[in-house]
Amino acid sequence: MTTLTRQDLNFGQVVADVLCEFLEVAVHLILYVREVYPVGIFQKRKKYNVPVQMSCHPELNQYIQDTLHCVKPLLEKNDVEKVVVVILDKEHRPVEKFVFEITQPPLLSIRSASRLDACGGGEGASVMGRPPLTPSSDSLLSHVEQLLRAFILKISVCDAVLDHNPPGCTFTVLVHTREAATRNMEKIQVIKDFPWILADEQDVHMHDPRLIPLKTMTSDILKMQLYVEERAHKGS
Amino acid sequence: MADQLYLENIDEFVTDQNKIVTYKWLSYTLGVHVNQAKQMLYDYVERKRKENSGAQLHVTYLVSGSLIQNGHSCHKVAVVREDKLEAVKSKLAVTASIHVYSIQKAMLKDSGPLFNTDYDILKSNLQNCSKFSAIQCAAAVPRAPAESSSSSKKFEQSHLHMSSETQANNELTTNGHGPPASKQVSQQPKGIMGMFASKAAAKTQETNKETKTEAKEVTNASAAGNKAPGKGNMMSNFFGKAAMNKFKVNLDSEQAVKEEKIVEQPTVSVTEPKLATPAGLKKSSKKAEPVKVLQKEKKRGKRVALSDDETKETENMRKKRRRIKLPESDSSEDEDSPGAYEAESPSPPPPPSPPLEPVPKTEPEPPSVKSSSGENKRKRKRVLKSKTYLDGEGCIVTEKVYESESCTDSEEELNMKTSSVHRPPAMTVKKEPREERKGPKKGTAALGKANRQVSITGFFQRK
Repeated sequence: MTTLTRQDLNFGQVVADVLCEFLEVAVHLILYVREVYPVGIFQKRKKYNVPVQMSCHPELNQYIQDTLHCVKPLLEKNDVEKVVVVILDKEHRPVEKFVFEITQPPLLSIRSASRLDACGGGEGASVMGRPPLTPSSDSLLSHVEQLLRAFILKISVCDAVLDHNPPGCTFTVLVHTREAATRNMEKIQVIKDFPWILADEQDVHMHDPRLIPLKTMTSDILKMQLYVEERAHKGS
Repeated sequence: MADQLYLENIDEFVTDQNKIVTYKWLSYTLGVHVNQAKQMLYDYVERKRKENSGAQLHVTYLVSGSLIQNGHSCHKVAVVREDKLEAVKSKLAVTASIHVYSIQKAMLKDSGPLFNTDYDILKSNLQNCSKFSAIQCAAAVPRAPAESSSSSKKFEQSHLHMSSETQANNELTTNGHGPPASKQVSQQPKGIMGMFASKAAAKTQETNKETKTEAKEVTNASAAGNKAPGKGNMMSNFFGKAAMNKFKVNLDSEQAVKEEKIVEQPTVSVTEPKLATPAGLKKSSKKAEPVKVLQKEKKRGKRVALSDDETKETENMRKKRRRIKLPESDSSEDEDSPGAYEAESPSPPPPPSPPLEPVPKTEPEPPSVKSSSGENKRKRKRVLKSKTYLDGEGCIVTEKVYESESCTDSEEELNMKTSSVHRPPAMTVKKEPREERKGPKKGTAALGKANRQVSITGFFQRK
C-alpha cells in the first residue's frame, strides 16, 4: 500500500481535469433535462462511452467553458467546496440548485493489488514490481469513469423526482470555496478576463428548500455528492 | 410466492431507486432469460396500471415489423414510447413483435439513458453476455487467429461499404430527428458512428441502417413473419414463443451462410431473429458482440498463437538439432573409445542433478535414435521446461528443455540438450548428453518434474 501526497504525480491536475470535463457535461445535461433551453440546440455527443446531450450554441458553450476554466485552478488546489448550478426563474430567484459537493482526499493512498484487480483486473501482479500509479491509474480512471457515468444517468432521470420548472428560466453557476481562495480568484479572473463576482444573498438563499439527493460517489482520487435543492413552490 | 418476489424487486428498482429498468438489465440482475424478463416487466406494468396507485410509470416498447416505404419493403425495429406506440404500429404492414423494453418513473426525452443503463451491466458481464440471450446461432463459432487479421481488413471494407449504403438508406429511414419525443430511428451519420464505436450511439439509431441490407432477407423475414402470431396482437407475442423459436430456426439456417462474411454481416443476420426475439434492439450491442467476439478470439488467438509460436520454435529447434547432430555424432564416435568414461560418469552423479541417473544404455543406440527422432515428424505436445542441475564441474546449469509428452520424451530431451547454449566446455557438453541418454525414461521424467521450475508458458498447455 503506497501513500502519496497531493504533490506527487500531479494528481491535483489530473483530478481537476477529470472534474472539469465532467462538470461541463453535467451542466449541459442539466440544461437539457430541465429544459432551460429549447431542445433544438442540443445534439447527441459521446462521453464516457455513452451518449450525452451537449449544446451547439457557441456562446453558451463558451460561457460554460470559461466558467469551468476559472474553476479549474481552484480545483487543483482543492479550494472548492461545492459547485452549484442554479436555475433561476424570471424574477432571478433560485428555483432549483444542483449541488456538486466535491471532496478531494489530501493523501492519496493507492490501495493494494486486490482492490485494483476488482477495478481493472489483471494488474495486481504488475503493481507489485513497478512504480505505482502507471499501470494502476488506468484502472483507477476507468473506475472513476464508471462512477461518472452513473452520475450522468442519474441526472437524466432526475425529472421523476423534481417538479416542473416555470418557463423562462435562466441559469448560473456558483462556486463555494474555502476561505482563502477568493483572494486567489481575483488574481485569476483578471488574467482570464472573465469576471466573477461575490454572489448576492438572494442568489444563494432559497426559501423553503427541499433536499433531494441524487448520487454519491467515492473513489481514491475524488469524492462527490450530487443533490438538488428545490424550492417548494415553484410558481408558474 | 417466489413468483411475486420479482414484482417487489421491480417495484423497488423503479419506484424507490428511480432506476431505468430495461429487460436486459433485469435479466442480468435477476439471472433470468430475457424472455422471462420481458414477461416480468409486462406483468408489473399490468398490475400497476390496474392498481392505479398514482405512481406514474413510463413504459417504452420495442416494436418490429415490416414496413413499405417508397416502394421498398424493409424491416423496421424501433424503441418507442408508449404514447407513440399506436402510431408506429399502424405504420407497419406486418407487426412481428412488440414487447416491453423498459420501465422508468421519469419521462425520457431521448434514448441515451437506455443505453447508459445497459452499458455497465453488460460490461461487467462481458464473458457471459449471451447467457440469458435468446439470440442463438449454431454457426457462430470463434474464429481461428489466422482469420482474425483478414477479418480486420474486411471490417474496414465493410465500413466503406456501409457508408455508401447509408446514403441510400437516407430515403428509407424515418426521420426521428426533429421531435425529440419520438424514439424512432434517426439519421444515418449517427448510425455510422455506432457501427465501429461499439457502444457509441443509442440503440434505436442503428437499427434502420440495416434496412437496405435486410431488404433481400425481408422476403424471407416477412414470409416467416406471417407464421408468427404477433400480427397486431401484443399479448400473443408473449405467448407465441414456440412459434418464434421455429421462426428463429428458419432464419438461423440462412444466417449460417452469412456468418463467415464481413464482420458487419453477423450484425445483419442477427437482426433477423429480432422478429422472434426482439433482443435485437440494440445495434450497439450487436456491434459490441462482434467486437467482443473478436476480442475473445484475440485472447484465444493469443493463446493459440503462442502455442503456434512454440511449435514453430520447436521446428526451428529441430532444424538446429539436425545441424548440430552431425558433429555430435562425430564426437560421440570419438568418445566411443573411452568406454570407462561412460561407465564412471553415470556413477557419481551429484545429488541435485536428477537427469543423470545411471542406467546404462548402449552407445550406438543414441545417435541412431536421435537421428530417427530428429526426422520424426510426429507431432507431440512440447512443454518448455527448465531444468536446473549441477554439471560435472559443479556449475549450476539451467537448461530449457522441450519435453514431449509422449513416450519418447527422454530422446527428445537429449535432442534438446544438445542445442542448449549453456555449456562452454566441450568435454562436459559431450559428457552430459550421454549421461542423460542413459537415464531411464521414467527416471528422467519423474526426477525432472521434481526439480523443474515452473515455466511461464506452462499454463498455455494446460487445458
